[in-house]
Amino acid sequence: MGIPSVPLVTKAFKDLAILNAGKRGMPHERICFTPHPVWGKTPEELRVYVDGPDPVTGKPLMKEVVDGLTVPLSDDEKKTGIVSVSVGPPTFTDTAENLQEFYLNNGYTDFMPIVLPTQEKVDAMLKGTSHHPDEVVGKMAAGAYPPWSYTVRHVAASAVMAGCRPEYLPILLAIGSTGIASLFSSTNSFAFSMILNGPIRDKLEFNYGIGALGPFAQANATIGRAWTIMSKNLGNGGIPGDTYLGSVGNNLNYNNVVIAENEEASPWDPFHVQRGFKKEENVVSIFRGLGVVPGQVARGSSVNTSPMFDAQLSDLFSTFTGFFGALVIADPLVAVRLKEQGYDTKQKLIDWLYKNTTQTVKDYKGRNYSYLFEYPQALQGVEPFATWYKLPDDAVIPHFPRASSFNIVVTGGQTNAYPQAANMSYGVSVSIDKWM
Amino acid sequence: MNRRKLLSLLGMSPALLASSQGQAQQAKIAKSGKPPAADDAHWSALNPKGTPPPVRLIPMAPRLDSIHGKTIYLVDTGFMGGGTLLEQMQAWFNTNMPDVKVVFRKKAGPYMEDDPPLWKEIKESGNAAIMAIGH
Repeated sequence: MGIPSVPLVTKAFKDLAILNAGKRGMPHERICFTPHPVWGKTPEELRVYVDGPDPVTGKPLMKEVVDGLTVPLSDDEKKTGIVSVSVGPPTFTDTAENLQEFYLNNGYTDFMPIVLPTQEKVDAMLKGTSHHPDEVVGKMAAGAYPPWSYTVRHVAASAVMAGCRPEYLPILLAIGSTGIASLFSSTNSFAFSMILNGPIRDKLEFNYGIGALGPFAQANATIGRAWTIMSKNLGNGGIPGDTYLGSVGNNLNYNNVVIAENEEASPWDPFHVQRGFKKEENVVSIFRGLGVVPGQVARGSSVNTSPMFDAQLSDLFSTFTGFFGALVIADPLVAVRLKEQGYDTKQKLIDWLYKNTTQTVKDYKGRNYSYLFEYPQALQGVEPFATWYKLPDDAVIPHFPRASSFNIVVTGGQTNAYPQAANMSYGVSVSIDKWM
Repeated sequence: MNRRKLLSLLGMSPALLASSQGQAQQAKIAKSGKPPAADDAHWSALNPKGTPPPVRLIPMAPRLDSIHGKTIYLVDTGFMGGGTLLEQMQAWFNTNMPDVKVVFRKKAGPYMEDDPPLWKEIKESGNAAIMAIGH
């Protein structure tokens, strides 16, 4: 802004604040800290924070704030220029055991044993694509950080580490081209998912039958794992306190939610066809959100005859935040039953779910994400939030802001008619074929 | 961990950290703390890290001689509790430095979005800003 300023940050984010200021060119920024948290505290409790010390320096907070605005700048604080950032040499040499330890201790892994990315193994992995090893694939950041760039070779190294086969590489390059990291800095402990469509599901022997979301096929297991390792290495994500702040964390981050659609058993169009691709194209689609819940907990799920999965799903969404959408993960038995109920397209079911999944304005306003993300938009006149915030508390409104908040994918082995649902929103679909 | 150690973890060159040019950033080498046995075969493995962008240093704005008689903006970015904290800070200024004009503003949009009109207002009408970030 060109005028003196002081950021006021809670102590829990000390490392993040200092490191992010450094990455953005102000390594000596005068940051003042309060105790953590301020959320949930009364005005009286927060007055104690203001009157008390900065918990990082121990000095009176308000003196630090005033000093931050008035003490003349040091030479370091006036510096200009461009400085390089090193990530170390291109290769590391040691015994296999020591290298395993080194990769683990330096945050290059998911803390499980890896396949060492030797030149030989990376070269073999690179045979999985026609693209040049030095081609830049994209840029990735695990949040509001300056993004890192990476090449085909970088992606191949992470693919080797995760235990992938060379023929899996195009999928990882396609994911890399989106720039989306599966580890995100937010305190919310986000989870990520990918949907695979097209003939590549059979060619690479993805599991979309019994246990489709479980550890029962190499492609599902290692491609999901590779995305997390890529996020750490290509986008510098997953560093607790720096580029990862998820308070509780998310177990789904280990290999993400890899969903190969059971296109053959589905009564509906495959997901990628809904997104404008041809059925014979190979496509990966990315989702982001909070997690997955099982359908067995829904009201009405004990019905033995004529189960109404539309109503069950609607009930399942009652705790979801509308900020993220709802991704229905339907076993083929569920999908077929829904079609028998009259939903001969996914869109018909989506329209019903949008219309019939509702909440009161009071409940809506009480949700965390409404306050954080949608109330500020309401103040700017963004619909439907502006209208919703003007309605009386007992008014009934849709649970999700729009019908496009819903997505449906079919997978599973038809051993029982159990759906699952993810509080996740659609991001993007990209061609895998382009990276072969 | 202090600021210098934190920033050194980024792999930033010493120029970013201090005036002294004497501390060259050493390339990271494989150190497990355990020397390899003489008969262990050595492997060479790729550094899997991508390429970070260089850092363009931004000089900080000149400080004020004093904040007495000046206009200070308190900016609530929208994190929960931040506005309440700043209201208490405003009360502190009213009690302890009553000649400081304090202007409270809630940044438009969700916390991760920029608000250029507010920055313009602060630059034109204010002398300094304090921004609450986090919860």
